Amino acid sequence: MYDLLRGPVFWVSAAVCVCGLIFRTIQMFRLTRAKIIPECRLSPARNTPARQVSDEERRLDMVARFRNSVIWRHPVVVAVSAVFHVCLFAAPILLVAHNMMIAQAGWVALPSVPDWFADLMTIAVLVCAVFLLVRRIALPKVAAISSPVDYCVLLLAVMPFLTGFLAYHQLFDYKTVITLHALAGDLLLIALPFTKVGHMVFFFFSRLTMAGEFCMGRGRRTWAA
Amino acid sequence: MTHIAKKTVDSSRIREILDGKKARMKTCLQACAACSLCADSCFMFNGKDGDPQYMPSYKVIKTLGRLYRKRGNVSRAELERMQQLLWRNCVLCGRCYCPFGIDIPNMIAFARGILRSQGIYGVFPHTSGSTEAELQ
Repeated sequence: MYDLLRGPVFWVSAAVCVCGLIFRTIQMFRLTRAKIIPECRLSPARNTPARQVSDEERRLDMVARFRNSVIWRHPVVVAVSAVFHVCLFAAPILLVAHNMMIAQAGWVALPSVPDWFADLMTIAVLVCAVFLLVRRIALPKVAAISSPVDYCVLLLAVMPFLTGFLAYHQLFDYKTVITLHALAGDLLLIALPFTKVGHMVFFFFSRLTMAGEFCMGRGRRTWAA
Repeated sequence: MTHIAKKTVDSSRIREILDGKKARMKTCLQACAACSLCADSCFMFNGKDGDPQYMPSYKVIKTLGRLYRKRGNVSRAELERMQQLLWRNCVLCGRCYCPFGIDIPNMIAFARGILRSQGIYGVFPHTSGSTEAELQ
């Protein structure tokens, strides 16, 4: 069973994940269109040199922007989310055991981090997940908009890490735990493009390409209809 | 307080409108991680002592999200509850901030359009953010 899950089922899951992500990206492009940005020309009478902005004004503007940002208002949530997401991606890619299997399959050997560091990242994911779960249950504003799907998504994201941690430390029956680990990993890969976990595609597309006040990129696209 | 032109719900008309923007709206609804970070950007949420019903995401999930989930098969009473969320709890000022870049005001405007198609509109006292009891 384990060999099946880490072999053919894994490759199918990985293919579904990659194709799904490509599909979602294409879908996002098709739902949007290039934004026509009108060229703004001031009349000669109004075309006076811009007022010099002092360093103090610039500093105050930056302070005001920062104080209105999510980072200032919810520093703990932002920090936990950042650590959670970075470790969620980095840990499986940089794990020696995973990279050895990839190398054995005849693929390129990816760089790895020491086991203790991968273990630390796994613990970070688990701790952050507990924080997010407690926040979802305990905070009325988060609980009010949480559906069973939100809890399932969190469970789906955490299961490969929990089972991986248990397998690495040889806790419980190793064979069962490692099989569950492979199954959880495959399920996460399949779910990634098609469920709420897909917010990873939406985040980058929306915040980098869509025109708007909070755009962090060039913002040259807008919704098609 | 509501101008009710029709007493019944035309589910097929709701479905027709929902299908018109299905791909876009479903993508936006699916992208919502229910993080609640949009809450602080709403002055009504802040003004109502953090009542979750005034959160931008709450207004969208409980109206448009529900309409999509039920494929437009909602009762008149449900639509009238949505009216409270879409008009009384929101003035559509467009100041909602979503970390994922979801265009919340656009979704609320779309949901309002669906309610209008069923003869349900917002009226002045509700747009001021006050309940009937508060006005009396």
